[in-house]
Amino acid sequence: MVDEYGGRWGYRLKWAYLLLVVATLMSPVFYVMYVSFNENGFGAANYVFTFAWYGVIFSDRLMLNALAWTSALAIVTTAITVPFAVLAAKFYKATRHKVLTLLLLLSPLFVAADIMGASLLVYFKNLNGVFEYVGAALGVAWVETWFNLGFMTAVVGLIVYTLPYAFIVVLITMGRYRVQQTEAARACGASGWRAFWDIEFPQIRPGVFSACAFTVILCFNEYTRTSLLKGGFDTFTTVLVSQMLNEGMSEQSYAMSSVVSFIAIAAVGAIIVFTLIKSEALERQARPKAEPGT
Amino acid sequence: MPTPARPQLRSNSQPLKDRAQGLAFYLPVVFMAVAFALPLVLTGVWSVFERTMFWMEPGFTFFAYENFFTSARLVNFLDSMYHSAIAVVVCLVLGFPIAVFVRRRVPQAAQHRVVLLFILPFMVSETIRIFALRPVLQRNGLVNDTLIQLGIITEPLTSILYTPLGVMIGEVLSFLPFIVFSGFLAMEAVPKYVFEVCEDLGAGPLATLKDVILPLAAPGVFAGAVFIFVNGIGVALLPNILGGPGAVNAGLIATQAITALDFPLAMAISAIMTATLMLLLYIGHRLFDLTRVLEPAS
Repeated sequence: MVDEYGGRWGYRLKWAYLLLVVATLMSPVFYVMYVSFNENGFGAANYVFTFAWYGVIFSDRLMLNALAWTSALAIVTTAITVPFAVLAAKFYKATRHKVLTLLLLLSPLFVAADIMGASLLVYFKNLNGVFEYVGAALGVAWVETWFNLGFMTAVVGLIVYTLPYAFIVVLITMGRYRVQQTEAARACGASGWRAFWDIEFPQIRPGVFSACAFTVILCFNEYTRTSLLKGGFDTFTTVLVSQMLNEGMSEQSYAMSSVVSFIAIAAVGAIIVFTLIKSEALERQARPKAEPGT
Repeated sequence: MPTPARPQLRSNSQPLKDRAQGLAFYLPVVFMAVAFALPLVLTGVWSVFERTMFWMEPGFTFFAYENFFTSARLVNFLDSMYHSAIAVVVCLVLGFPIAVFVRRRVPQAAQHRVVLLFILPFMVSETIRIFALRPVLQRNGLVNDTLIQLGIITEPLTSILYTPLGVMIGEVLSFLPFIVFSGFLAMEAVPKYVFEVCEDLGAGPLATLKDVILPLAAPGVFAGAVFIFVNGIGVALLPNILGGPGAVNAGLIATQAITALDFPLAMAISAIMTATLMLLLYIGHRLFDLTRVLEPAS
């Protein structure tokens, strides 16, 4: 649509600028993908298309192991983060202490990964010391390992990192929901859970699914907090970064970077397509209702 | 007609169930208080502990702060603040007009889809995006190749990668989408007729931006600026990968301190960063009421 005030060319120019910025932001990633398909690697005069570097990754046992750990982290984190985000969004809408709630839920966005990771690392090491002491005093050995660096501590770090994003996505979707519908359901005798599940959830479902997708992507992408809190196992990005820091950008690094990027782009692309289809379906449903005489 | 027994049963179990359901809503907030706020607050305590060979022990010393404020680390920290501030300005200049354009000129139904375009680069791993800049910016990389092929330069530029400029380019490309999101979110609170009124009254684009758009979108712009600034001085990979030797920021100093097992120093830097962040957010909230950023959603 061309706006009625601005000129047609001005409008097109602004669109061109917007798309140019998106293309510039994506260009390093696309360039890495382009290089990853070159048999001769980065900087070679001849470009020979190949999938060989991807084959190397998926036959690498270390890589497959890291992929399994990353997937496990992503699944567990998403299973906790997204319900937390829904609860937090409902809490935020109901509470009178909005500033404090926002400060707690959104501040992790503003704390740099290295600072948060370092704080959590020392926090868990201290908790570990306390629990070792308590476990020894009570003679209960299984308590002593609760806060050892490992899967659980990495999940905590990832929840702290992903919850603000999931919270914003769910809150924005919930903004369109009218609370009177829940009140009507409650007045008809529905329990809180029933009213949520049958009335509210279907309307916020796209937001919840988007939050799930974003959480999974963020877990696959995260490096700093995971590398500080993971303990003994490796994730996709920790293997990738250690390879890149130790050996530089090898052909395999290009292919690994591309795999992570492909996953993110496919997931976000799926969300965009789903949103388009869904909103068009809603528009089609709404059109006959809006017509006079129906 | 319902029997009296059923409502009685419901009334016995319902309050307990409702209370349990009500308590569930506090879970995320309690979790964030314990796993996010508490560790950050405790950094202040741990920063005054005594350093031991491999760990630290309770004590009260400002040695870590002295170590930070009287060494080259402070100069590096201030340098990284300066570079980060430049990145904030560049992001605002490049990104905020996009948020205004989308809100003002793109049809309502398509606005969120256009903003989703900026999710795409934001969702690709920050680590990969930073590493990917190396082949783009280096001597025989994409930028130099393109400029040479276009005939703009004859010799490859060597002043981009492993310099503060490289770090700033990395910051802008990493964090620019955030200014679009927060700017757009803030602009959503501005009704579209406000722009029409401005045009009808003959206000020029600059006057509209300065007197109408910026004051109304200030909370979002400020939130985006703080995000970029704090991450610019805190993300260790940026100077580590793009800055070359000598380029350091707070995040890298903290990471290096942990590698050197100097935990009180790492905690002192974390405490300084947390205090800086809280101060910025406090000032922003006093000036602009930052809860307005999420007003359209709540």
